[in-house]
Amino acid sequence: MSATRLIARDELRLMTRNRVAVIAFVLLLLLTMVAVLSSRAHQQGIADLRARHGRAADMAFDAQPDRHPHRVVHYGHFIFRPLGPLAAFDPGVDAFTGNSMFLEGHRQNTANFGDVQQSSLLVRFGQLTPAFVLQVVVPLLLIFLGYGALARETEHGTLRLLMLQGVSQGQLVRGKLAALGIVAGFAGLPAMIGFVLIAGQPGALALPMLVIVAGYAAYLILWIVLILLVSARVGRSREALLALVALWAVTVVLLPRAAPDLANAAVPLTNRFQTDVSIARDLRAMGDSHNPDDPHFAAFKQSVLDRYGATRIEDLPVNYKGLVGIEGERMTTQLFDRYADISYAAQERQNALVDSAGILSPAIALRSMSMAAAGTDFAGHRRFLEQAEAYRYALVQRLNRLQAETVSYADDTAVDPGADRRKRIATSNWQAMPDFAFVAPTGTTLAASALPGLFVILAWLAGATLLLAYATRRLGARR
Amino acid sequence: MTLWAHEMRLLLRQRLTVAALSLLGLLTIAALTSGMAEIARQRAAISAIPAAQAEDIGAIAAWIDIAKDPGSAAYYSFHPTWNGPSTLAFAAIGMRDVSPYILRVRALGLEAQIYDGDTYNPELALPGRFDFAFVLVFLAPLFVIALFHDLVSGEREAGRQRMLEALPCGGKALWRRRTGLRLALLWAILAVPFTVAAIVEGVGLATILITLVLTVAYLLFWTGLAALVALLRWSSVANAATLAAAWLVLVLVLPTLANVAINSVVPVDQGAEITLAQREAVNRAWDIPREDTMQRFYANYPEWADSAPLGPEFHYKWYFAFHQNGDQSVADQVCGYRVGLEQRDRLGRALGWVLPSVGVQALLTRLAETDLRAQMAYQDRIRAYHQELREFYYGYLFRDRPFGKADFARTPRFVDPSDQASSRATT
Repeated sequence: MSATRLIARDELRLMTRNRVAVIAFVLLLLLTMVAVLSSRAHQQGIADLRARHGRAADMAFDAQPDRHPHRVVHYGHFIFRPLGPLAAFDPGVDAFTGNSMFLEGHRQNTANFGDVQQSSLLVRFGQLTPAFVLQVVVPLLLIFLGYGALARETEHGTLRLLMLQGVSQGQLVRGKLAALGIVAGFAGLPAMIGFVLIAGQPGALALPMLVIVAGYAAYLILWIVLILLVSARVGRSREALLALVALWAVTVVLLPRAAPDLANAAVPLTNRFQTDVSIARDLRAMGDSHNPDDPHFAAFKQSVLDRYGATRIEDLPVNYKGLVGIEGERMTTQLFDRYADISYAAQERQNALVDSAGILSPAIALRSMSMAAAGTDFAGHRRFLEQAEAYRYALVQRLNRLQAETVSYADDTAVDPGADRRKRIATSNWQAMPDFAFVAPTGTTLAASALPGLFVILAWLAGATLLLAYATRRLGARR
Repeated sequence: MTLWAHEMRLLLRQRLTVAALSLLGLLTIAALTSGMAEIARQRAAISAIPAAQAEDIGAIAAWIDIAKDPGSAAYYSFHPTWNGPSTLAFAAIGMRDVSPYILRVRALGLEAQIYDGDTYNPELALPGRFDFAFVLVFLAPLFVIALFHDLVSGEREAGRQRMLEALPCGGKALWRRRTGLRLALLWAILAVPFTVAAIVEGVGLATILITLVLTVAYLLFWTGLAALVALLRWSSVANAATLAAAWLVLVLVLPTLANVAINSVVPVDQGAEITLAQREAVNRAWDIPREDTMQRFYANYPEWADSAPLGPEFHYKWYFAFHQNGDQSVADQVCGYRVGLEQRDRLGRALGWVLPSVGVQALLTRLAETDLRAQMAYQDRIRAYHQELREFYYGYLFRDRPFGKADFARTPRFVDPSDQASSRATT
């Protein structure tokens, strides 16, 4: 048996003798299992609920009686953001973003009813998910099990004895690495079992899952390397432990909170109130539909009359009110898109600032990588918002076109007692409208968006490994 | 007194202690600054409301004034409401980063408006805010652990314990002195910057005192835990590992576990169901006899029942009546939803009696009025204002009174209780 394997076996034997360590390890396994099961149940519950609500909303839309098309523009449509299977592993921002959205004409509503507004204050302490356990808890357990791996040998003088017996520094460090690696493997196992459960679900994508496995493996290996590095450089166990806990507290707890606050201060977002006022102002500048002498709408009217060779809107073969609706919606949507793009760009800048803090904290890099691969990051939410907006616009314009083509201008402006009946069009028109279907991103897209985070973690790993190699060579040298 | 000074000298000679204390001081100051900056941003956003609102409503008033139709005035005007931060909000941002503190409402159905959120970046909100509450609840215990884990065991390992206990004024008095000194230093480093910030922000004396007592109580809990672990007479390393594990469980693991448990024990009817039901009720009005709508409305508002009957043409009073009927049709669901949320909140707070981390967070956000209860109170104020607004417009709609430019100035204004508080603080 090689020296490396002997050292690894001895280290593991020592860990199993430490009763506190064994209890902590068993508790961790239990915690991970609870996290896997509850997170999966939560994700499936949410996915089912949203699917059910979505179907109910589609049915309600189709079941509308004969109505004036413009009524349906304001009846609108409710859509619900579906939750992908990987959200059971890392739900990301799902609890912090609204998951239902009301779509109607001339208004862009917010996505409402995020879990964070519907839960007790505990939700801000973090969410118990496999991702949380692997990102936060497992590194601390590894620290407890590994801080003394080399410091203990130095402190007790056993390092010299080992080296006198012909063990090289490299063999020693590799043995300890192997022992901690095995522990990390077991610690990550329940989460991986959970992952296999997810993989069995329809819609689970292989490529992002591979990236997630690679990222978390690299992250845990990074921690093992860091632990041995500190343990080798700091000769005393107690100082090694304190240094490692401090490193963990700063990189895993402090920086992930402090960096977003800095980003928030550096890149201000315009609130909804100011955005709405600005949109109204821009709209007035473009053309005021309430002003009968407005130049924009006067020109629009003239262009419509010219197109049909008519002199009065009453003589048009189409309903002019529907055409004005189409034009108005085009104008408002153009503004909505412009302001949404400004806001998205600002939020992306904020996120880029936080991501750059990944250079200081691998936990930040891992978190953004994990959410990106699971499709539960800001980009995933934005994908939903943009598809929702595109659907809203298409739906409203389809209804405006129906008004222009199937409701006559004379009926639309009539006020006699029978007019209400003549303005309505058949319920079959609503059933003919396509339902909202979220187009999920492909596995390649998700995996590609996770690569920058993965790269940062690998860079950390490479740097730490180099330092450990250097520290290994100096191990046992007199200071 | 000289003994205390001597202990102080000893303590400050340790590199680890000095480093830990300065780091905590820096973090406290950074968190306070960050919280104050966030609240200043929120205050600035609120004080920017009147100018933007005046511009917006002015443009609407200009074209409404031509036809003087009260229905169009009510339909097209949005009115701002806001929830000004309390003076202590900088110390515990609570829910203020994810719940709207500015919301514009119209006299239309409120249930379709009141759940709207504001713009915020979910990725920034996800890890939670870096505020004083975070430093106290999450970080301060780690510093207690760093300073206390080797209080006795360190001397034992250095072979000085027996000698120290044999000294005059040694033994128990010595450990008390050392504990007291470390605790006082930690507390002062949290309390002094906080008090300065609180005075700058104009926090009331009682609130400052309560927060300071809360701080010392929380530190005492962790000191007590460290003392308990020390009773086991393990090595310094084992003490540190045990305490850090306790921190992980008490601050991170148990609250997240409890969150899962509470949310499954108290299922809340999704708020989305309320808005779905309200929409059906509102839009159905177009498909039923208009008189039915009016009768239903007049049953709740008999004071307008003598309004002129509806003609064949569209009338806004009918439109606003069915919006109000729609809100009323989901009143029970709204109530149930709220009861569910309050129950979740209550259970979360109740956990604070067992878990000091949760207890401190709950108390701080309560004192700072940044918790769910404060958010609910804001919703109540929005509801009351919305009612005032509706009834103001009803006076024009049901009496067919013209609504001109001058009437815009008579529209009820939202009043936020913190407005008076802050104006008192600045004068």
